[in-house]
Amino acid sequence: MRPRKKGTWALLGALVLAGSLGLAACGGDDSGDSDTDGGGDTAAAKGGIYRVGTTDFGFNGGFDPSGEYLGWAWGLYSNLLTRQLTGYRHTEGAAGSEVLPDLAEAIPEATDGGTTWTFKIKKGVKFAPPVNREVTSKDIAYAFERIGTGSVVAQYGFYYNDIVGMAEFKDGKAKTIAGITTPDDSTIVFKTTKPVGDFPFRLAMPATGPFPKEVAGCFTKAGEYGRYLIASGPYMIKGSDALDITSCKTMKPISGFNPTKQLSLVRNPNYDAATDSTERREALPDGFEFIINTNDKDIFDKIEAGEYEDSVDAVPPDVARRYSGDDALKDRLKGNQDDRTNYIYMNLAEAPFDDVNVRKAVNWIMDKDALRKAWGGPFYGEIATHIAPATLYPGSTALDGYDPYATENSAGDLAKAQEAMKASAYDTDKDGVCDADACKDVLFMNRSIDPYVKMTPIIRDALGKIGITVKVRELPTGPAYESSGVIANRIQAGSNAGWGKDYPDASTFMVLFDGRNILPTGNSGYALVGLTAAQAKEFKIDYPKGGVPSVDADIDKCSEEVGNARSDCWAALDKKLMEEVVPWVPYLHVNNTTLLGPAVTKWDYDQFSGEAAYAHVAVDPSKQK
Amino acid sequence: MRFRRDRWAMASLVFIGLLVILAFAAPLIATISGHGPNELFRDMTDDFGLPKGPNGSFWFGADGSGRDVLVRIAYGARVSLIVGVVATGVAVLIGVTLGLIAGYRGGVIDTLISRTADIVLSLPLLLFAIGIVTACGSSREGCFGGTVQPGLTLVIIVIALFSWPYVAKIVRGAVLSLREREFVEASRSVGAGDLTIMFREILPNLVSVIIVYASLLVPQNILFEAYLSFLGLGVPDSTPSWGRMISDASDIFDVAWWLMLFPGIFLLLTVLAFNLLGDGLRDALDPKADR
Repeated sequence: MRPRKKGTWALLGALVLAGSLGLAACGGDDSGDSDTDGGGDTAAAKGGIYRVGTTDFGFNGGFDPSGEYLGWAWGLYSNLLTRQLTGYRHTEGAAGSEVLPDLAEAIPEATDGGTTWTFKIKKGVKFAPPVNREVTSKDIAYAFERIGTGSVVAQYGFYYNDIVGMAEFKDGKAKTIAGITTPDDSTIVFKTTKPVGDFPFRLAMPATGPFPKEVAGCFTKAGEYGRYLIASGPYMIKGSDALDITSCKTMKPISGFNPTKQLSLVRNPNYDAATDSTERREALPDGFEFIINTNDKDIFDKIEAGEYEDSVDAVPPDVARRYSGDDALKDRLKGNQDDRTNYIYMNLAEAPFDDVNVRKAVNWIMDKDALRKAWGGPFYGEIATHIAPATLYPGSTALDGYDPYATENSAGDLAKAQEAMKASAYDTDKDGVCDADACKDVLFMNRSIDPYVKMTPIIRDALGKIGITVKVRELPTGPAYESSGVIANRIQAGSNAGWGKDYPDASTFMVLFDGRNILPTGNSGYALVGLTAAQAKEFKIDYPKGGVPSVDADIDKCSEEVGNARSDCWAALDKKLMEEVVPWVPYLHVNNTTLLGPAVTKWDYDQFSGEAAYAHVAVDPSKQK
Repeated sequence: MRFRRDRWAMASLVFIGLLVILAFAAPLIATISGHGPNELFRDMTDDFGLPKGPNGSFWFGADGSGRDVLVRIAYGARVSLIVGVVATGVAVLIGVTLGLIAGYRGGVIDTLISRTADIVLSLPLLLFAIGIVTACGSSREGCFGGTVQPGLTLVIIVIALFSWPYVAKIVRGAVLSLREREFVEASRSVGAGDLTIMFREILPNLVSVIIVYASLLVPQNILFEAYLSFLGLGVPDSTPSWGRMISDASDIFDVAWWLMLFPGIFLLLTVLAFNLLGDGLRDALDPKADR
């Protein structure tokens, strides 16, 4: 629930297909040869070290997979370090959004009316040194015990609240989770309290990965285990074989991970490619180095010079301009759809945004093209015309070409905006310009960093045209989020927000509009859709006379749907939000942008993590500096 | 007069005069060029949102939002001058009053004021400023019951709050030696009250010290405003400020040199001019200084 989240897109309709593909992959037992993507790459061979610069790791859970909620970290786990029951192909687009079996032999059909899931675990998958033993169903069950242990702080543990007995375990009323059983070492059974159509997606999230209790059991405080992470994937943290696991006291942080300097990965000698498939992981480089370099300019200079292969940070617009204008360099510049939406939110409980006509007027007037330019122009994303990116509605065509506030060049339309404003009680003389006091000095939150600050004059200019004057508060990213999340602060609107999927399902966006999720502090749905009078009283804010619209019933309905019907249901809710509720001005589906160094011979984008697909990259050491 | 003969000081005075004219004439420049300070010109940014440089109509080029840099520099001069002069004025007012009282009354009052000044001086100024501005900027009400709102006023208050101790300490020191002098004794013997002595007898002797010190405080405060605005903690974004312009330029200065160069030159020259003026005044007003 922070700036950069995770996810991918996929659909439940694809589950059956995904299951069969997974089986086929298992049968094909390819030993990890390169060139499977047929992209005409030259000589993508094994070997070399893939080096990535970043201004900051940005981990928000200490790199402990139980709690870590950073998209890039999810990419590291699922591409390189840990294997969950299910996983992805780590490639771009729809193919990368299908959920596949990984540690599981197959993705089963749910039984008992969609409430029981029985997974068989592959044989021959071993933990990295020093644990060196086979991964069993009990290691998965233990992952869920960690999720249910308060001190671990599993930030997205709410995705597993539907498992029978999770609540009792969390409250300490039960020693085990009743709904998770392990009849033998290779079988695990989950029971849920109600049908959870997207359960296989939830099992691809890293918190569910196998945790060897003999190590992880020593670290049950938030983030601690991040420095003792035992791999089950093709790579492990450098130096993890030197970990002395004779007792909890003898363990010292693994040498290859220094949270303020670098993270080094080397091959996991216990990884058997026969248990995996090159479709999911090719694991070509001999190692990875993720290096903190606080100088963003220097990172891109080093990539250009061949000293790094890649960066986690976005490519600066001036670098993008130079590369895109040069035929020899163009191919090293990548822009990939990140399944994210950046938006301006309006607080439905605060005047003048308690009036839907005002919110519509704001949608009509906003110059989305200029906002995108502030981000660097078309290379940095598609202009957004609805809540969740269309890729999260697989199988549905309901949103094709959908733009309820279409204006020429997406630059805003004064006449249409004024028409909407005229219908508002805040425009007393009906001239299309708000003249009520409520429109003066509207408290508007933004971040104090680029490119957000570049949006401020555009937003101020646009809103001014319909009589809304703003008092803009610009704070650093963290404080801006915290401040917007405190309801008593009564922030009226803001542009400090962006949201990415957690997994390829529109539900991971719609949680922002569920009134039952509203919290007095640490709130994420800044528009307060679904706020009730009782909540308003509890949070000590005024409740608008006209009430606040709620979509809770729609969310409940769509959550139980599966397949294309599910996509259509969510898409209909997206439209309802855009046309009737109007909590946001969505303006950009942000791209993940990448610049590759000269030594990179193979690269792919991981739609799931929204970052490089490290499982499918390769380098040519002779071109490295 | 010594000051007139100081060429650097005179040149500085002329530059400051021109700057004042520029600040006053800012709307005129906007009208002539046809570019408002917050007007966005789409044509002045390219497909990557990067600004275009100086041309016949935009003499100093445009910024990342497509706004005229020249017009914004003219408006920015207003902010710099207002903050420099007003914040210094407030600081001098507080500093002189407290310094006089501390120096003249001595004892517990002196201890209280002097220690307060020491404490303020030892506060991590920038951290404190960031704290205040962040705290007052995060909710609708501002802080202290809505009396303090981010913006020019808060910037002036913060700056004054941190610069009065310098003045107070200097004034206190001067008063300590003055209060034992014969003319003070004389005045006291004819029954003059404390207030009369402080403000009628002692204060006039401090005028030159105060002027010199104030003129050196002005450039310091102009820079401080620039720092705050650079960090996004200064005046609101709709008010052009040199510090903020330089901050906006920092990410792309190698492809848009004009964004950093022009506001940078103005800031540099302004601070330099006030410093030279202060030096000139000190030389002219302080009889002990020898040239």
